[in-house]
Amino acid sequence: MKSFAFALTALFALASAAASAPAPASMEPGMGAPRGPPLSGAVLDARTEDVGGLLRCPVCQGLSVADSPATMARNMKAEVREKLAAGYDQEQILAYFERSYGEFVRLEPSLHGVNWVVWFGPIAGLLAGGAAIAWALKRTARKAGAADLPDAGPAAPAPGVPARDTLPADARLAAAVRRVRTLAYGWPDGIPPKAAL
Amino acid sequence: MATALTPGAGSPSSSRVNRKVLIAGMVIAFPLLAVLVANLGRDPHTVRSPLVGQPAPPFSLLPVGGGSPVTLESLRGKPAVINFWATWCVPCFEEHAALTAAAKGLRDVRFLGIVYEDEEARTREFLGQRGSAYPSLMDADGRVAIAYGVFGVPETFFIDGKGRIVEKYVGPLQRSTIAALVERARGEDR
Repeated sequence: MKSFAFALTALFALASAAASAPAPASMEPGMGAPRGPPLSGAVLDARTEDVGGLLRCPVCQGLSVADSPATMARNMKAEVREKLAAGYDQEQILAYFERSYGEFVRLEPSLHGVNWVVWFGPIAGLLAGGAAIAWALKRTARKAGAADLPDAGPAAPAPGVPARDTLPADARLAAAVRRVRTLAYGWPDGIPPKAAL
Repeated sequence: MATALTPGAGSPSSSRVNRKVLIAGMVIAFPLLAVLVANLGRDPHTVRSPLVGQPAPPFSLLPVGGGSPVTLESLRGKPAVINFWATWCVPCFEEHAALTAAAKGLRDVRFLGIVYEDEEARTREFLGQRGSAYPSLMDADGRVAIAYGVFGVPETFFIDGKGRIVEKYVGPLQRSTIAALVERARGEDR
């Protein structure tokens, strides 16, 4: 119990010492204390590429600092590397460049304000479009289903249009109509013989 | 399609559907068109500098031709004009005469050039030929240009006596523009 209390006191003393410790010599003006571990070797190389990939090269057209061969991009990449080696984390570094270039310098806009639209607008649009298509398809299917009902029968002729099997009152005209029907359809009546059965 | 386009040919329900589709299309297309029209002809690189109104980033750079480092701190107390330039930049030598004349005329203002992505020998030769009324500093690794959010040259920062950036000017300066912006840097001091 006593050793536990001692450990606790020691821990507390250490924590308060860390909190009141002077800023490290590597601290950049306006960047605060580094929040991550200092990086080196292969990890530093990889993280430099990662963070450089999130920064827009200011003098290029839509290229990241990691991808651009421009002198300014190379300078910025060197600065990213230096800051990572000093222990600054990704967000601290992006915020540092944002202070001089504005949010423009971030290739991925941060999640706040109107930027939500940029991030989630396309997904919302896709979902809304999918829902609209599904609704339209369902409606068409319902309509088609209604038309297929057996008791619906053949469509009634529009008013003012004579039924297909009517013949003119004049006998000669009626005979001519029957001849034309035979020539056109193959049977003299308005309705096919099979359907008439 | 043909029936939909002829008014009266389709049933009333089909023409209603088409109007709906039309409205939905307009709802989607109009905001996109509005954004396009609003931003057409706007250079995406001309972002308003977030540094305007903020303290100027500190620096300590060696002047061209040798000497002790010049710091931002040494400019304190008087308005300052910091011009980022290069010998390979044509608009820069267009404005060089205006800046030199302004520096000679405005004795209470500190003028400073910061050389952007250029070699010291070439800069010295340029200044030897065209003359200079104020020091130019070498920014070898481009750190100061990055800290000032420089996109290209020429870009000029007008700083008040307290070290705050009052205005950033992109492009070649005329004497009248320099005078007006210096006046603003003076005004912020009062």
